[in-house]
Amino acid sequence: MTFRRKLLAVFALTVFLSVAGVALLVQLVIRNAFEKTENQRTAALVAQFQREFDRRGDDVARRVEGIAVSEPVSRMATALSGTSADSAEYFDLARLMADNRQLDFLEFLDSRGTIISSAQWPAKFGYPDTTFEISASDDKGHFLKMEELQDSTALGLFAVRSIRVGEHPVYVIGGRRLDRNFLMALDLPADMRALLYQNRGDHFSADQLLDPASTGNAPDATHPADKFAPLVDAVRQYNQEITGIVPWSSDQADEEVFHAIPLRGVGKDHPLLGILLIGNSRRSYVELKRSIRNSALLVGGGGIVLAILLSSWASARVTRPIVQLARAAQDVAGGNWNASVEVEGHDEVGQLAESFNRMTTELLAQKERLVQTERVAAWRELARRLAHELKNPLFPLQLTVENLMRARSQSPEMFDEIFSESSRTLLAEISNLKAIIGRFSEFSKMPQPQLQRVQVNEVVSAVARLFQAQLQAPGREPIACRLELGEHVEPIAADPELLHRALSNLVLNAMDAMPKGGILALRTRRDDGKVVVEVADTGSGLTPEECERIFTPYYTSKQHGTGLGLAIVQSVISDHGGRISVHSEPGKGTTFVIELPRNLEALEAIGASKNAEVTEGNLSR
Amino acid sequence: MRHIAWNWFVASSLLLGALALEAETRPRYGGTLHVTMRAALTSLDPADGSQPDSFARRSVTALLFDTLVSVDESGHVKPALAESWQLARGNQRRQFRLRHGIRFHDGTPLTGEAAASSLRAANPSWVVISEGDSVIIECDSPDPAPLAELALSRNAIVKRDADNKLIGTGAFHVVDWQPGKKLSLAAEEEHWSGRPFLEGIEIEMGRSFRDQMTALELGKAELVEVAPEQTHRVSQAGHSLTSSAPTELLALLFTREASSPEGKLLREALGLSVERGSIRNVLLQGAGQPAASLLPTWISGYGFVFKAEADLPRARQLRDQVRTIPAWTIGYDGSDPLARLLAERVALNAKDAGLSLQPSASASSDVRLVRIPLAASDPWITLQELAAQSGLPAMKSKSGPTEDLYAAEQAELATGRLIPLFHLPASYTSSSGLRNWALRIDGSWDVANAWLESAKP
Repeated sequence: MTFRRKLLAVFALTVFLSVAGVALLVQLVIRNAFEKTENQRTAALVAQFQREFDRRGDDVARRVEGIAVSEPVSRMATALSGTSADSAEYFDLARLMADNRQLDFLEFLDSRGTIISSAQWPAKFGYPDTTFEISASDDKGHFLKMEELQDSTALGLFAVRSIRVGEHPVYVIGGRRLDRNFLMALDLPADMRALLYQNRGDHFSADQLLDPASTGNAPDATHPADKFAPLVDAVRQYNQEITGIVPWSSDQADEEVFHAIPLRGVGKDHPLLGILLIGNSRRSYVELKRSIRNSALLVGGGGIVLAILLSSWASARVTRPIVQLARAAQDVAGGNWNASVEVEGHDEVGQLAESFNRMTTELLAQKERLVQTERVAAWRELARRLAHELKNPLFPLQLTVENLMRARSQSPEMFDEIFSESSRTLLAEISNLKAIIGRFSEFSKMPQPQLQRVQVNEVVSAVARLFQAQLQAPGREPIACRLELGEHVEPIAADPELLHRALSNLVLNAMDAMPKGGILALRTRRDDGKVVVEVADTGSGLTPEECERIFTPYYTSKQHGTGLGLAIVQSVISDHGGRISVHSEPGKGTTFVIELPRNLEALEAIGASKNAEVTEGNLSR
Repeated sequence: MRHIAWNWFVASSLLLGALALEAETRPRYGGTLHVTMRAALTSLDPADGSQPDSFARRSVTALLFDTLVSVDESGHVKPALAESWQLARGNQRRQFRLRHGIRFHDGTPLTGEAAASSLRAANPSWVVISEGDSVIIECDSPDPAPLAELALSRNAIVKRDADNKLIGTGAFHVVDWQPGKKLSLAAEEEHWSGRPFLEGIEIEMGRSFRDQMTALELGKAELVEVAPEQTHRVSQAGHSLTSSAPTELLALLFTREASSPEGKLLREALGLSVERGSIRNVLLQGAGQPAASLLPTWISGYGFVFKAEADLPRARQLRDQVRTIPAWTIGYDGSDPLARLLAERVALNAKDAGLSLQPSASASSDVRLVRIPLAASDPWITLQELAAQSGLPAMKSKSGPTEDLYAAEQAELATGRLIPLFHLPASYTSSSGLRNWALRIDGSWDVANAWLESAKP
């Protein structure tokens, strides 16, 4: 990843995290505010229900009071206070009075708690009211009671009043049923609703749930009553108000928060008679949350896009000098020491660019000086070698000429014989001089490689075969030749003759380095798109100084070497775009490593130009 | 002189007053009697077994049709269409001589064959032949049913014309008939017992007891039925109340036979658990008689032998002898408020005895609260008709001494199908303008000699 992209990523991440953090914070704040409002609404509703409950209770108490002081009931109480009282004729009075006073439950009880008349269960006359003692204890207010009916029980809001005529009081217990109508009469906000669970039996039963929204006894498929079971069971278990979320579907917007309020009856243990479930839809909250999240995502997304654009601009502005510096450095590394960067500003990057420019200028100057020095040294070496090479044949020439002159003056009879012999010597030395001059001339005339598709393994194998006889020649210690050719070495574009010549020079060098025999290894392998050829011997090896100068023309460590062999090898490899290096340790042998590019593109280019030439030729003809 | 004149004035006034009083109590012809009833009759055929027996049906049948014999208030058989009869071969052959000159409402004379044909249709198992103006009923059984059986409504003489229309010989004939709703009758001028005083009768059916009382108070009806539990209140309200002897059995009828001795024990426990006394006092407001027997004492003479008091300990004891207690349903007539209360009370009593009884207004139930009008003529016939209506086993004997009757009733009760609760009277109230109407012994009303004060002479 480039520096610019890194910088861009850091900028974008920073902006994204900032936006996300702000959105999260806003969401948390809003959620807390919403929940607080929700709790306040629920508390208000609970308080409203309690007021409504009390109002209904007071209403029931007023109705019961009205019945208690009514003429028929007073007449009944008076009649029953006598010794020969017969309550039979009043058995239907409760039903009539309940109808008149719009009460769901009404019973008249005598002083022993025996039912005189019952509106809700007329046939129960003469039976004792099981809740008489509890009911009779509350003669002023209202209370909850689970009323037993013929085939069921019903939760109701009751009040009790007593009429005392004579010694024995008559009790009037009246009430209204807490049913769907009661729940529907509650004034609730649009997204809130109230349900009532009548606590009967040991386990949750969907039949005991009164839902004003449900029609008849048909179960509501979208709001199954079983969903309330955990909440109801929790209230029954802990006997306290509990708030819980009831999920109606996988959509969170369908969830409702229910506040479960236990409704207790009167008596010693205050039995749990019912559970009021006040529900509040979470739809508005969830939709608000989703809206905030979507806004946050939108703002965040927009912010990120903006951040990317701004960051891109900023990073481009910041990194442009650095990119220029990097490119200039790459140019320098590639050999272009003239590279320089534009200096903008005087900040650290500007100073860096200025320093870079100074550095490249200094390097260029030093390179010039080094080249000059090397050129002088090369000329000196060339002169030395040339003097040395020329001095060797010149000295016999001088001696021969002096010998001729001496023979003419001192031994004319032997002059012819000496002349003949000296002429042969002179010619031989002159020939030697020609050879020296020819070799120098040949080095200066190294031909350009004629590229073609070459299997390196084949070239190496051919070299090995060529020298096989010399390696095992009699009169010298044998040298074992090992061919270690890579299996997947691909063909390259090269001049096979020059390559053969270069490898032959290296093999000759190796043979010279192993006068006492040894092992010559020729290896090929593929390495990162290149073909590598190694020529290794187990000879005497080279010193580090020799390794440094071994490719310098006319440098040799041999007695009779011209110092051009390895220079030619380097020239050939260099002309192929390759690279040669040497690894050696004294006493352990030397390894030359040649790295050759495949360079098949150049081969295709040559082929294309040839085709073009052929086409042009055909056209011209 | 002045004294004499004063005496004449006083004597004249007394004479005119006496004449006026006599004129007020003298029967008047004319006028239409309006009657309401709770039953909604769908057929006027006396022999139609698909309709339940009721006091209302008996009353209507008696207006349109006559029987060969009738039963008076004392239970004695007296002539009706038959002016005389002869018994032969130990009561196995009965020959009835018809009155002369009796005609059906269409004007055709009543013949022996017409009467015999009617009786054969009502009693397919009988051998009935005609012989001139006589009808002969032969029976192979050495123990034939009492003669009073011929006084039952179902044995009324009916003629069916080509359109299967029913034609009777009764004091009234049909003018308009809307089954289940209304029946209009007109007096038959040539009735053998004389023309009735009333010009016509309009009967409205399917009216609740409350509606009937309202109609009476509004002057829209002169004769209405009164529910047993309302008799006390109606009487207290100053209305004239006329009640029959207890001629209706209120009972629990099991739809199936008891399949095991344990089942019979539970049914006995149920009978013992019912507090008949308190139910009579409260729900029936003192009407009726608690009953543990099928026949009321006034018919059988021994009804008091059967103990009708609740015995809860004994009921629990019987119940404890049974391992598995079934959950019974008790059915009742949903249109009868009293029936619902009675069923609920019985269920409550049963619960005290450890039995499970669930009231239900549906038609299918394990046990049903039923009201069965008694024939109330002859005890044997009454028991026989009761057994037939309740699906009890047919009685082996059809006559005999009281001991045999008691044994026969015990045998019917032993089946456990029927648990008697109460014997109820048939009660009616009428407006003050309706005079001289009467109740028959079987609980039906008789307006043959009734007249309306408001009728124009």
